[in-house]
Amino acid sequence: MSRETILELQNLSVEFRTRKSRQPFLAVDDVSFQLMRGETFGLVGESGSGKTTIGRTIVRINEATHGQVYFKGRRINGVIPAALDSEVTRRIQMIFQDPMASLNERAKVDYIVSEGLYNTRAYNDEAERQGKVEAALRAVGLLPEFASRFPHEFSGGQRQRIGVARALIMEPEIIIADEPISALDVSIRAQILNLLAALQQDKGLTYIFIAHDLSVVRFITDRVAVLSKGKIVELAETEELFSYPLHPYTQTLLSAVPLPNPVVQRKRRPLIYDPSQHDYTVDKPRWAEVRPGHFLWGSEPELDTWVAMG
Amino acid sequence: MLSREPVLQEISPDLFTLAGYDQEAAERTGYSDYSYWGATLGKFLQSKTAVVALIVLGVLLIFTVIQPYLPGQRDPNVINLNQETFRQLRNVRPGADFWFGTNSIGQDLWARVWRGTRTSLMIALLVATWNVTLGIIVGAIWGYVRRLDRVLTEIYNVLDNIPTTIVMTLLAYMLRPSISTMIIAMCALGWVSVSRFVRTQVIIIRDREYNLASRCLGTPTHRIITKNVLPYLVSVIMLRFALAVPMAIGSEVFLTYIGLGLPLQIPSLGNLINEGRQIMMIPAMRYQLIFPAIMVSLITISFYIIGNAFSDAADPRNHT
Amino acid sequence: MAETLLSVRNVVIKFSLRGRVLTAIREASLDVQEGQTLAIVGESGSGKSVLTKSFVGMLDANGWVDSGSIMFEGEDLATFKSAKQWSRIRGKKIAMVFQDPMTALNPLRTVGKQIEETVTLHQQLTGHSAKQRTLELLADVGIDNPGDRYYQYPHEFSGGMRQRVVIAIAMSCQPRLLICDEPTTALDVTIQAQILELIRRLQEQHKLTVIYITHDLGVVAQVADKVAVMYAGDIIECGLADEVFYNAQHPYTWALLSSLPQLGVKGQRLFSIQGTPPNLFNAVTGDAFAPRNPSALKVDYILRPPVFNISPTHYAKTWLLDPRAPQIEPPPVIRNLHQFAGGQARA
Repeated sequence: MSRETILELQNLSVEFRTRKSRQPFLAVDDVSFQLMRGETFGLVGESGSGKTTIGRTIVRINEATHGQVYFKGRRINGVIPAALDSEVTRRIQMIFQDPMASLNERAKVDYIVSEGLYNTRAYNDEAERQGKVEAALRAVGLLPEFASRFPHEFSGGQRQRIGVARALIMEPEIIIADEPISALDVSIRAQILNLLAALQQDKGLTYIFIAHDLSVVRFITDRVAVLSKGKIVELAETEELFSYPLHPYTQTLLSAVPLPNPVVQRKRRPLIYDPSQHDYTVDKPRWAEVRPGHFLWGSEPELDTWVAMG
Repeated sequence: MLSREPVLQEISPDLFTLAGYDQEAAERTGYSDYSYWGATLGKFLQSKTAVVALIVLGVLLIFTVIQPYLPGQRDPNVINLNQETFRQLRNVRPGADFWFGTNSIGQDLWARVWRGTRTSLMIALLVATWNVTLGIIVGAIWGYVRRLDRVLTEIYNVLDNIPTTIVMTLLAYMLRPSISTMIIAMCALGWVSVSRFVRTQVIIIRDREYNLASRCLGTPTHRIITKNVLPYLVSVIMLRFALAVPMAIGSEVFLTYIGLGLPLQIPSLGNLINEGRQIMMIPAMRYQLIFPAIMVSLITISFYIIGNAFSDAADPRNHT
Repeated sequence: MAETLLSVRNVVIKFSLRGRVLTAIREASLDVQEGQTLAIVGESGSGKSVLTKSFVGMLDANGWVDSGSIMFEGEDLATFKSAKQWSRIRGKKIAMVFQDPMTALNPLRTVGKQIEETVTLHQQLTGHSAKQRTLELLADVGIDNPGDRYYQYPHEFSGGMRQRVVIAIAMSCQPRLLICDEPTTALDVTIQAQILELIRRLQEQHKLTVIYITHDLGVVAQVADKVAVMYAGDIIECGLADEVFYNAQHPYTWALLSSLPQLGVKGQRLFSIQGTPPNLFNAVTGDAFAPRNPSALKVDYILRPPVFNISPTHYAKTWLLDPRAPQIEPPPVIRNLHQFAGGQARA
């Protein structure tokens, strides 16, 4: 893993307005982080934390309200030239959560996997396109003959692999995996995780792994950011975060994850997190590096307390 | 807890050795042979009323087309004269000579009914095609392109509140009575309700993950609409079309009722029903109303049944 | 020794689907003691939901119990045919909580009215006393300000609170058995912890017996006294939680435990089972798990394994327990499961 920054978010905020509500809903609140080439970066949070919105804003499905997204130094949010937009489409791709909903049921697997190629005209002739489809299917462990079938003929795990092939065929540098395994059966999850790890090795991919399942995150990521209500409250290397969680929200989250060990788990009691414990009227919170590579969001007194207790 | 001794003591010991693991066999177990259109067709054919309606409609349509070429058919506009007295054969009751009888000026009602059905069906099919096509185009754009939503909704609110009857009446009154006038009148606002319906359906599927995936892959809006959205709407589109045909025939009958129908030389179901209505009170001549009315009923009921049965069959939730 | 509340023996459940017959449950048996918590673990297609739906007569219209018995309070539920018979049991003695609280509640009626509906129906309380009971139930499941919340609609509640309301409805007639079908899968992990704690408390207070259906082994470890592992419509291993976790005997249970990411070694492949579960339209010969089992014996493809007792409370249906079978060790990652306290191994 090199230290090259391939993607950077600066003060990203995303608001959602509906015609009815007066207050726009702030899904992402002033989020900043850097993504290093070759790493697997985890975005963890519960529902409403904004993690999915961040992923969708990076691939330009959602619009950023404030802040910037930089890809290899160039800004890719907002209005950008068509050529750059096309490049973003190629270089940054997404894998979606629900294999039953993320494939077009009425289209053949061949069309589904080639869709991105058609859009960016990234092939010279029909033979080349078919070759790419075949290679993509093989890379995810599916047989090329599956190209002429429809999605409903496949199981959840196979469909998710078709989704991966669809992203892979674009030869991206970054893949944003939005809860890629939460909708799958437990034994199939391992298949997909192994596949993603193997592809990363093979093709030098960088992943943003969005999840709410902390045990998976611990296994697959190099660094993790914990999100709460649109803000990153803690960011650190994975083992560091899981061994020394400092923010009370992170601690609560970890304490709530049950361990598959009956004797131990029965004795554990989950912590309760009270958001109102943060009083930011006097001491304003800041983003601070409290241990090497370990960042926290909190006011000065809070940071002191948490580090001392941790 | 249960406990059983192994059933057969004769299981030979060598069966208790490792069987060797076949990866291929493991992958083979996950294939399903469900086909959407196959299941739709199967479900449709299960409904006996739908199949009967389909047969009735099919026979009707075929007969409408071939009837003029059958031997012994009369021209619908010819006034039939008694060969001896040379008087008009008015209001002859149905019998061996005139299967549906004749009307008040001696025209063969059998020929007129079939010619009228042909005319009315043609008008209805053209109108239905136009309304559904335009309705889909407008509805799909309205539903999918968020920025146009407000504008189109306002336009819709205006158009929807115009009483279609008045528009049809005005148009039919201003232009001279003819087939094209009738078609224009019914096409003017007929598409509006279809577009509203399509828009609702499009909104439901617009933000599903597979559409987000397409956007993420850079698929242009028009291709998302044609390849991602519309194929899901086929069943509801077929239903709207199937219902639009009898609605058009009904509109035509209505317009004829209020005096704005086709010219009398062109037999249509509307004209025939109108003529029949005028002498309805005389029991001996009621047949002039009954025959065209039966034809309208058959067509309307068949289309309704087929449309609904198909729509139910095309809903994947009913595919068990 | 607690009394056996529910006793299921050799139940076979079939469905008729697109003209063919699918055998969803193939001779499953289990016992649940009063006050016990049973967790049924399995993946999609294993039949865990189907089995529990048969306990409350909620099989789809194209399904039926083909043979076997479901004894509850001296009656055989498998013989029930009419809605009238089920109305004495369903919602009254056996209640169910489903996965998605949003679709379990009527969005057009206030929460108070929905709870009151069951209270009135089953307990014949009316008017003021029905409302009192409703408020009691709301407080019991941990909803603050029951007086105000009574008048609110489901969409004004968060996911966790809605699930509490669903539990309140289920508890409204003091059932003896509560079946929870993936009650926390759609909820955040912190809310999940609260809901599991709530159910545990209700269990203590009301001497409730609970059956959990889940695929999350962490949840199982937390709540279960007894665990039943299902695969392809059969219960292939059943025992006390400690027995199943620390002394699993069936290769499928081994595979489930081994594929947990917590037990994986970072940087190495995670253990995974190849292939997919069998198509239950076809009759299954031998052990249903055989094609996916690297330690399958030849006999697994020929004869269905019978029940082998490992202890009075623990059984498994695998030929590996036959004395003639070779000694096969469980995968190394799960041999020391009892020592696992949360860390992640690294290569």
